[in-house]
Amino acid sequence: MKAFKLSIAFLLALAAATLLFFSFQAKDSLPQLLERMDPHQAALQDAQMQKARDRVLDSFAEGNRERTLRNLDRYTGGFSDSLVMDSRTGFELFFYENGPSLSALGMFLLVAATALTGLVFSRQGKWRRAALPVVLIAALYAGVYILENMVGGSSMLMTVLKKGAIYALVAVSMNLLNGFTGLFSLGQAGFMLIGAYIFAIFTIPVESRPQVYQYYAGGLIQFEMPTLVAMVLAGLGAAFFAWLIGLPVLRLKSDYLAIATLGFAEIIRAVFQYDGLGPITNGSNLLRRFPTFQTALFPFAVAGVSIALIALLIHSTYGRSFKAIRDDEVAAEAMGINLYRHKQMAFVISSFFAGIGGALLAMYQTTVQAAAFTSAMTYEILLIVVIGGMGSLSGSVMASFLFVAASEWWLRFLDNETMMGSFRVPLLRSGFRMVAFSVVIMVVVLFYRQGIMGDRELSIARLTRWLGRRGKGGRDG
Amino acid sequence: MTDFISANLPYLLAGISVGGQYALIAIGYTMVYGILRLINFAHGDIFTVAAYVMLYASASLPLYLSLPMTIAFTVFLGFAVERAAYKPLRNAPRMSIMISAIGVSYLLQNLMWYVTGGLARQYPTLPWISSTVSIYTATTKMVTLVTPVLTLVLVVALVQLINHTKVGMAMRAVSKDFETSKLMGIKINAVISVTFIIGSFLAAVGSMLYFSNYTAVTPTSGAMPGLKAFVAAVFGGIGSIPGAVIGAFIIGIAENIIKALGLTTFSDAFTFALLIIILIFKPTGLFGEPVHEKV
Repeated sequence: MKAFKLSIAFLLALAAATLLFFSFQAKDSLPQLLERMDPHQAALQDAQMQKARDRVLDSFAEGNRERTLRNLDRYTGGFSDSLVMDSRTGFELFFYENGPSLSALGMFLLVAATALTGLVFSRQGKWRRAALPVVLIAALYAGVYILENMVGGSSMLMTVLKKGAIYALVAVSMNLLNGFTGLFSLGQAGFMLIGAYIFAIFTIPVESRPQVYQYYAGGLIQFEMPTLVAMVLAGLGAAFFAWLIGLPVLRLKSDYLAIATLGFAEIIRAVFQYDGLGPITNGSNLLRRFPTFQTALFPFAVAGVSIALIALLIHSTYGRSFKAIRDDEVAAEAMGINLYRHKQMAFVISSFFAGIGGALLAMYQTTVQAAAFTSAMTYEILLIVVIGGMGSLSGSVMASFLFVAASEWWLRFLDNETMMGSFRVPLLRSGFRMVAFSVVIMVVVLFYRQGIMGDRELSIARLTRWLGRRGKGGRDG
Repeated sequence: MTDFISANLPYLLAGISVGGQYALIAIGYTMVYGILRLINFAHGDIFTVAAYVMLYASASLPLYLSLPMTIAFTVFLGFAVERAAYKPLRNAPRMSIMISAIGVSYLLQNLMWYVTGGLARQYPTLPWISSTVSIYTATTKMVTLVTPVLTLVLVVALVQLINHTKVGMAMRAVSKDFETSKLMGIKINAVISVTFIIGSFLAAVGSMLYFSNYTAVTPTSGAMPGLKAFVAAVFGGIGSIPGAVIGAFIIGIAENIIKALGLTTFSDAFTFALLIIILIFKPTGLFGEPVHEKV
């Protein structure tokens, strides 16, 4: 059995290496490939063909992959008669065209092979249990990357996935506070704003600053930071403000805490738009021209790592203390849990990740303006947490993608006036989508208070049990 | 001295006027909180809906019809929201009811956006109270003078109702002890409905006064006055009606003093800073009763 597993792992690794090798090689060898496709130099005789070929090479030299693919398609399609396509050329062409997808597949197979090998050699239950989730997560990331290369980065699906990943992070950070620690805080938008602004302020390239800060003589700050450093700084900034505001506010009872944090978010919004701070925050004007992400993998990676860290925290002793505070403050205190310190900790950590989420949101939107971070944004995130289930991380993640997909994509048709023959469908016009949406949310809040997951987590064992029960139920019936 | 007065009188008048309007909203918050321990996040939106109903009603109806109609509709809305969104959650954790309130607020805002198209509308000019008067050196609308008087009259009437009628006694009992008053045979649901009806009635009146002054109506234009009124209620000691009124006047006046100082950006922020400060130093507010935690 062991040998069998090992040989499977070996085969997977071999396949992965092959895929990675060929797609990596095909990435740079397009000019040679074009030469091989045209052994008789037909392009030299045909001006049009030469032009098409030059276009491919130009866009390749520019490094614009999307345009290269389009030009390549036109070239091979338009002049297929004069081009020689032997199997080797076809093979390499295939690897060039599908390079990213195939290398993603390769990476996934590599992870799968490693997991399988680990499964064979490790005796510890912990590692054995981790193997399958690791493979599934690798499959998810590979899938996102392949999907992005198939449907294009600006398609609706990718937009939803990107925004969904960002909202997932923010919703999970809010759940840490509201669902796991029982602190009803409504300051999330404020901390996101701090994160978004800190990120934007420190990453706008120095040469773009005169245009961005055109009303404030180029602004005060004249340096820039690497993206990831600025992102961590965004989180730290939000965490610092949380610490500061937490000193007084966290001693309050639940609903006062809600209104105080809501108020804090409003104060932050006003302060960041204050003209006197213009040289730093650009007043009430947009911040723009900071780096953004090119691929959906970036928000997925940042959100994934952050959510994993929050999950680890929740499964630590601190996490158990948080839950104890949520369930009964008085009892928790009697058990020797320092209420204030743990609340402060949950608040600061939650805000740290909200700040990172804000930075991601800024990158996603490509511009930042303080006026957009209203309490309505906090409410939306809170509703996501409720739909997913208070106290369930996987629920929050699922609900974020559902929420974003429904509000940005699936329910769009409700906003358009529709004719069925000569019959005009009533009610459908701009704004109806949000009405229908909020009705659905109210139904969830009133009748499915547990949300999708309640306070459980998605696990493979639970999923198979659930599916099994379904299957059996079907047979019985 | 004269210069000082003539420079600052308009701000003071505006402060007193907006304070009275906040007071009318704040009473709705404080009464609901006193009885249900719920921050009714939807109250500010009910206030906005009242403005829209008035706007649409007065477009086609004479004032003597549109005014009672607006009040009736707002009262019904307040009642319906309580029945539909809060009553099913009577035994749920408090956080759930608050989330439900946030959901209602979200729904009402989206609904208003849908019906009105989201553009700012002009609030109708009401006869007499929209006319201009000049006091000393300041020119202002009649509503500025009417508001504090009307507010005080309504508050006195409300206090009489609470202190000297049977339903008022029931309300006091419920806010003191929910469970016991239930055992004593008080019809809890009826009392809660009455509370919401009174709150919505005052919000409708407040909305007429408020929007006669600030005439642009958008789906979210009630959110900020709503939050400020809530802060006023907390400031005065939540659950206490005189406290809410005094808190509202203080906040209204202070806000306008800040505007007079040229710090308009911070006038909203100031309100919340005040809230955080009062919660730190006197969490029960000016007139609130201390709450003892029972295990």
